[in-house]
Amino acid sequence: MNAATTQEQRQSISEDDVTIIIGLEVHVQLDTKSKLFCGCSTEFGAPPNTQTCVVCTGAPGSLPVINQQALRLSIKTGLALNCEIARFTKWDRKNYFYPDLPKGYQISQFDKPICGLGYLDLFDQRDKSKTRRVVLERAHLEEDAGKSIHDESKQGGNSRIDLNRTGTPLLEIVTQPDMRSAAEARAFLNELKLILTYLEVSDCNMQQGNLRCDGNINLHIRVDGQQIATPIVEIKNMNSFRAAERALDYEAVRQLELWKQNGLTISDAPKQTRGWDAATQTTTLQREKEASADYRYFPDPDLIAVTLSEEEIDSIRSEIDRLPAQWREELIGQHGLKPYDADVMVGQGRGVIDYFLNVAEGCGNSKMAANWIGQEVLRFLNESEATIESYPITSTQMTELLTRVVGGELDQTRAKEVLEQMIEFQLEVQSAMDKLGIKPVDNQEIEALCQQLINENPQVIEQIKGGNAKAVGALIGKARKLNPNASPGLVKNTILKMVGG
Amino acid sequence: MSDSIDRETVEQVARLACIDLPASRVDETAKQLAEILEYVGQLEQVSLPDDVEPFFGATESVNAIRKDELSPSVARPDILSNAPDSDGEFYQVPPVF
Ligand SMILES: [Zn+2]
Repeated sequence: MNAATTQEQRQSISEDDVTIIIGLEVHVQLDTKSKLFCGCSTEFGAPPNTQTCVVCTGAPGSLPVINQQALRLSIKTGLALNCEIARFTKWDRKNYFYPDLPKGYQISQFDKPICGLGYLDLFDQRDKSKTRRVVLERAHLEEDAGKSIHDESKQGGNSRIDLNRTGTPLLEIVTQPDMRSAAEARAFLNELKLILTYLEVSDCNMQQGNLRCDGNINLHIRVDGQQIATPIVEIKNMNSFRAAERALDYEAVRQLELWKQNGLTISDAPKQTRGWDAATQTTTLQREKEASADYRYFPDPDLIAVTLSEEEIDSIRSEIDRLPAQWREELIGQHGLKPYDADVMVGQGRGVIDYFLNVAEGCGNSKMAANWIGQEVLRFLNESEATIESYPITSTQMTELLTRVVGGELDQTRAKEVLEQMIEFQLEVQSAMDKLGIKPVDNQEIEALCQQLINENPQVIEQIKGGNAKAVGALIGKARKLNPNASPGLVKNTILKMVGG
Repeated sequence: MSDSIDRETVEQVARLACIDLPASRVDETAKQLAEILEYVGQLEQVSLPDDVEPFFGATESVNAIRKDELSPSVARPDILSNAPDSDGEFYQVPPVF
């Protein structure tokens, strides 16, 4: 492993010889009212330094006390991620100096994290009929630091510090280096975020920093029968999943090019920290916090350990509702959705699933409900950046509309016009139909209409008589113009019957 | 256990702890630290049965847990009065970079 290679050997590498190795660390802000060790609010957006106290600013003599809800949300997350849950867990001090860390240490967990080994299964990005398992190393509960606002003018002005965020509970989820592409890392992040939102443990708002991720990446390269590993790089500042994917992609290419030039392996160079620069779409070397590698963890003497009983863990387990993977299975198995459609729907969150279930059950046609929600509803939500909760058509109204389609009263094209009217003028189904002048057409009217079409279009009729039944299609549009309420299917069948086809 | 502590270790510890230790006091500090470690090291002479679990804190009690409830924060002028420098809203610190 990691033997020296020649320039010639390195240039002969093909894509198949390179494996990308990625591990992620994800920080999730748990959705508690108060901070991890004190009663200060975690509400985002308050004026600076109005949500702090002696505990979260680390005044001497103050004592932290652990927040029960933070424990519960951590355990809930751990259970959903198939983690071993600790029966004994404790907190340690991670020592470093930084202006937004008022105590000079962060309360974190070192050797007794609340959640141990777990895993998360993902669709294989190369073949979605298969899954890939990402093993989770651990998930531990720690406090957040404050926020530094640096002088952007480059005049060397002071940095300003806001400690409102200091002490907010974070769950740090650490994966093993199991991901093999940037796309897979992004898929992991998407699925993790989905699970966290289904669990309602975090709102995962990345703009507010409630979900942050760092990535560790290097390459394993096969050279003449031996395998070498490039130096590991930790990438910080990947503030969206798209940025994470791009940063990791960029870094994989950079590492390969660099290795081809200098041949340095993991044994030759220490781990490096690089930051993703969205402006230039590159990673750049970050200045190391001096001696940051030596955190000198030790048990926090201000805190005592927490023990968890089977009953407590079981009671939290019983609060876990179906997770995204189970919903996909149910939508495919019980409601006949295609895997792709089920995945899209689950990806929209619980609200859309509930909406679908209501409509599917109400109109009695899951497939139609899935199509309408997959197309009409989701398109509207995407275009208007709305959520299902603010969608103007309730599931009851949608059920009524689709019930009329199922019953043959409306065809799908007309029903879409009705839906447009309902949205634009805030109408009930019937009022929208009235407004469009939609009313049932009786058989006599249909027959009269068809007779007229037959009389006016002798050429088409000749074609039909000549055995080309498909030619009737040319008359459907004309029928719609004469009477928009006439069902195209009915018109088609009636003409064929009258012509004697 | 009377391991001596070398100058390098003392300097490293001082750096990690952000303590300005004059070079003239490094030897003296090394000696003091060694004495402290030796004193604490006496504990290692106690023989323990193998099945004793390690002890992580100064007390055996566990589970001091509070409900997720809000309590008033400290008024900003009061909390900022602890700061060496502030603008009334933020703590002010020398530029980090
Ligand atoms: Zn506080």
